[in-house]
Amino acid sequence: MTPHVAVLFGFGINCDHETKAVFELVGATAERVHVNRFVTGDVSLDTYDILAVPGGFSFGDHLGSGRLLGNRMRFAMRDALRSFVDAGKPIIGICNGFQVLVKTGLLPGPDAGESPDFIQRASLTLNDSGRYEDRWVTLEFDPESPCIWTKGMTRMECPVRHGEGKFVMPTASDLDRLEANHQVTVRYVDPSTNLGGRANETVLPYPTSPNGSMRNIAGICDSTGLVFGLMPHPEAVYARWLHPNHTHPSSQPSGEALDGWEGEGLQIFRNAVDHVKATHRG
Amino acid sequence: MRDVRGDVVRRQLNADHGIEVERVRTICGYLIDAETPAEAIALRVADVFADPIIEHGATNELLLSSAHFESVPEGVVSVGFKPGVTDNPGKAATDGFLTLFPDDQNARISTYITYAFYGLPEGCDLHWLANTLHNGLIERAVVGSAQDCTARAWPQLDYPTPPEQVFIEPQAVDLEVADEELESISTQGLLALNLAEMHAIQAHYRDATTRAVREAVGISPDAPTDVELECLAQTWSEHCKHKIFASKIHHIDEETGEDSVIDSLFKTHIMKPTHDMQTEVDWLLSVFHDNSGVIAWDDEWSVCMKAETHNSPSALDPYGGAMTGIVGVNRDILGTGLGARPIANTDVFCFGPPDWEGDLPDNLFHPSRVLRGVHAGVRVGGNESGIPTVNGAIVFDDRYIGKPLVYCGTVGIMPRTLADGRPSHVKTPVAGDIVYMVGGRVGYDGIHGATFSSLELTEESPSSAVQIGDPITQKKMVDMVLEARDAGLISCITDNGAGGLSSSIGEMAEYTNGCEIDLASVPLKQAGLSPWEILVSESQERMTIAVRPEDQPAFEHLARLHEVEATPVATFTSTGVFHVRYNETTVAYLPIEFLHDGVPQLELESAWAPPQHPSFSPPSDANHNQLLLEMLQRPNIASKETWVRQYDHEVIAQTAVKPFVGVERDGPGDAGLIAPIHGNPHGLVISCGIAPRYADIDAGAMAAAAIDEAVRNAVCVGLDVDKMAGLDNFCWPDPIESSKTPDGRFKLAQLVRANRELERVCRAYRLPCVSGKDSMKNDYGTGPDKISIPPTLLFSLFGDHPDVRFTATSDFKQAGDRIYLVGTSHNELGASELAFMMTEAGAANGIGGNVPRLERPEAQLSTYRALASTIREGLVRTAHDCSEGGLAVALAEMCIGGRLGAEIDIDGTGPSDLWGRLWGESLGRIVVAVAPADETAFCSAMKGHPLTVLGTVNGTDDLLVLDGDEELLRSPVEALVEAWKGTLDLTGGVV
Repeated sequence: MTPHVAVLFGFGINCDHETKAVFELVGATAERVHVNRFVTGDVSLDTYDILAVPGGFSFGDHLGSGRLLGNRMRFAMRDALRSFVDAGKPIIGICNGFQVLVKTGLLPGPDAGESPDFIQRASLTLNDSGRYEDRWVTLEFDPESPCIWTKGMTRMECPVRHGEGKFVMPTASDLDRLEANHQVTVRYVDPSTNLGGRANETVLPYPTSPNGSMRNIAGICDSTGLVFGLMPHPEAVYARWLHPNHTHPSSQPSGEALDGWEGEGLQIFRNAVDHVKATHRG
Repeated sequence: MRDVRGDVVRRQLNADHGIEVERVRTICGYLIDAETPAEAIALRVADVFADPIIEHGATNELLLSSAHFESVPEGVVSVGFKPGVTDNPGKAATDGFLTLFPDDQNARISTYITYAFYGLPEGCDLHWLANTLHNGLIERAVVGSAQDCTARAWPQLDYPTPPEQVFIEPQAVDLEVADEELESISTQGLLALNLAEMHAIQAHYRDATTRAVREAVGISPDAPTDVELECLAQTWSEHCKHKIFASKIHHIDEETGEDSVIDSLFKTHIMKPTHDMQTEVDWLLSVFHDNSGVIAWDDEWSVCMKAETHNSPSALDPYGGAMTGIVGVNRDILGTGLGARPIANTDVFCFGPPDWEGDLPDNLFHPSRVLRGVHAGVRVGGNESGIPTVNGAIVFDDRYIGKPLVYCGTVGIMPRTLADGRPSHVKTPVAGDIVYMVGGRVGYDGIHGATFSSLELTEESPSSAVQIGDPITQKKMVDMVLEARDAGLISCITDNGAGGLSSSIGEMAEYTNGCEIDLASVPLKQAGLSPWEILVSESQERMTIAVRPEDQPAFEHLARLHEVEATPVATFTSTGVFHVRYNETTVAYLPIEFLHDGVPQLELESAWAPPQHPSFSPPSDANHNQLLLEMLQRPNIASKETWVRQYDHEVIAQTAVKPFVGVERDGPGDAGLIAPIHGNPHGLVISCGIAPRYADIDAGAMAAAAIDEAVRNAVCVGLDVDKMAGLDNFCWPDPIESSKTPDGRFKLAQLVRANRELERVCRAYRLPCVSGKDSMKNDYGTGPDKISIPPTLLFSLFGDHPDVRFTATSDFKQAGDRIYLVGTSHNELGASELAFMMTEAGAANGIGGNVPRLERPEAQLSTYRALASTIREGLVRTAHDCSEGGLAVALAEMCIGGRLGAEIDIDGTGPSDLWGRLWGESLGRIVVAVAPADETAFCSAMKGHPLTVLGTVNGTDDLLVLDGDEELLRSPVEALVEAWKGTLDLTGGVV
């Protein structure tokens, strides 16, 4: 079977074209679907196998990034989203999409075994620098995370492009619980260090951590590992020619797609497509 | 929780004014005008207005009095918008409110922000503080002193209700008056029409046929209505009609004795060469007549580009003016052909020096505030629209204090053929098509923008000429329009920019030869606008789109889905008349021909005598180490990373050469290179060139240098020079001789020379100009304190690159790589950055001398072709152009990018003394580095072209430059990094 992906767009989402493209590069079919087509019932979410909420500036980030689009989904797509998650279908939110998933309460979500309750438990707020910036960072993935999107991934370089990427939770124990469940899927890391699998919890200096996130958190998943969100943009590293050092002689062929010019980010999307294929009962 | 908004204010007060404040806290305020009771809203505060995890919220209670503010601040400033000014957060808040309270459809919300200051320095005036935090033209501020704070008497803002607009019935304007009276009608009404133009209008209404026709339709037969006069003023404005470029010029050259007449600079030097080239290539699809120039990129896709300026509005409100500039040029792309998708932005700014300490004329902002505001406007406009900023420049000169230049460019892409078989670059309207206004509504904002920008800036310049863009409303519209295009629903489209509906419908009506507009059907932001105001208002985020009657339901359905307002306001006709009604009353009835071709040609005088400057003569001995560090700190050369990094340059996942390159990703990129079709490495190069100070010696040399720089930058990433197109954007001081402009003949001669060089170089480079724009009144004031900008041509370029995997960047890559200079250094230090720096410091007498010239452009093109091929073949991975600061600065930047040292010998690089070879800015020069294994193949490919070996990249930490046996400079790369990156970081850091 060929997994079918809904890539949400409208109201200022702006990474919809490339997000659609990366799913197609790894063998899915993908469609840009305007939010209102789900809201009006014109299109049904359950006809899709994967939902992607791309990056952008929904509603201009006014009243807090992701808040207003999150509200539209929380109030108008509540049942559809709950059934989608309960059916074990993967969801990814990238950048503004991550902010939306956090503010709808889908991330980090309730305890294991419970249906989505749409209660916000964390937030993403203004970078410590006070500035929106586009810069490349190094990410480290938790190999023990249940996240189906990041299987087999260790480190990658990736751009961040945000002004509100600082991940926060109310208390240290909230963060402890998230870590204990290995829901802290991906963190910013100093590329010159080797942590040997340990997580670095001391907030790294700017710009190694571009935003001052608590415990250097760049992305998290829900308890099932199916819903995943992150501030960096893996879709923007789909090809090696998008890497800032690709003109350097040290840049080497990689991956199976694009004649050895596959970028490191593509694996994330391939993982989800493979997961859907593997779990599909048809 | 850290209050980041407050921290930013604290750091900026320190960075800009040296004021240390201990702490600043902020409160976001929402003034809600709604029927829903406050108690009901209070229950939902954490759903929409305050984040439940990180913020506190309250209704009908000021947080300042709450327990969340443990101590009393020493001063409070609240800043909100003035009535009628676009409030984007307010619009979003209203939308969010309606999600929760869908029955309260008339609810409206206005936003403000409150700053609470702790630990203010002694004597810090709160009103002064408030002035640094708001722009009185568009915002209002209230202040609470220390005493007020202690008394808990907080300052409050009310909902900004706009004053009632008084509807004025259209009336006839009597033009049968004396000439002085005609001139005064034009001046008083901000019409910017000269006497000859007023006479042409007068003559039209004296014509017997005109009178008979008007009598028959029931409109004042012998005098224009105010609607007609305003419409003519917009259509005939310098901004819309480019009257100076179209004028008949009597040109005298006092050097050569030339005495000649030029009938339209535009037709002679820009249009003709491009049309000649159009007969020789098959990829020039649409030039000059549409909103942007279109070229075929491959069999499936065409690309287009347009650049605009938004100078006057940016002088008055840097943030709003610049944002309107960028989202405005995006609409030019959307309005090209049947609609193109904007995929890349370019931004080039010219400002006064950011560290200016001299006097400022009344009403002008300090250059650092202009820089901050313009940057923020373009950043928000570009980022929120999801369009990457891939290329740009920032130029500094004292004279831009009088008028900053804000150039915004956009590249677009569209399928060459739509699903219904129509070529996308051809508009296909027919009489009977219904004309929609799509997007925003019409308001009092933006009345007289086109005519205002055709006048010089004075203290009385109107605030209604400034608007704030709304990128999200526009983004929704772009999404909707592109779906409508792909569904084949659009027969004609153009944007609403200068001149509003008057220009957009007026220009499209030329296709079918007529239209009929009903102004009463136009949706308004506020009631009471008079007919002429509705017709000419330049309220933003609007497209004008023609749809066949049978496609109306599908078109309106799409608009509803995207929550975009689309209203039919006119019908195309073939009557030959621009017919405007307000309900059933005819308020304008102008022949299309008179409207578009009735403006009389200007006749102007031009006289060239070369300006005299003391020659730049460098001292006999100098510390080149010190000079290099000083040059790297010059704002014109220093790294702009802090600013440029705040633009999203990677959205759409296509940017293969970014603004920053090298191991630390902080070396300069020469040109943007994008691969816009996902999965396909076919590329498009985007670059620019600008060299305004060369005009101090010769504006012709300035123009040639700008064009060469744009091409040179693009060649550095491997441009295919046989498929490139350019845009010419002229910004000039007023070049019409008058009492205000006694040196008008000279300024016009500068324009003549610039155009002649533009033609000479573009013809030699086979580089067609496919679109352009001019802005001709860039002066401040009229009296002795008048400031005129240096004549400035921005040349933008877009061109083909077959495969982005084979490109080069400016950073040195590996020790052992061999360094070459392509090109020749001449003794050309006139108007160079070094000459300006040393003259300003009193170390030299003046900036005069040989300005860089392009003597043999045909040979230069051939060199570029050869070099670009070596890059596309993968022989060269490192290339960087020489521009401001010459070879020395270029080499320093390449060391910075690679964090590698190099040993260089400049002996043999050209017929010049060492100053010219080290610091001169001769055109056509590119420094490359080649891996030793590729050296033979590279040299053989470059055979017959000027090529000198300069030296080797090495493992040391130093840049060492020799001239034969003589050591000129030796500097640690880290010192170069520090000098280059320190100057323009005006953010005050991150803590």
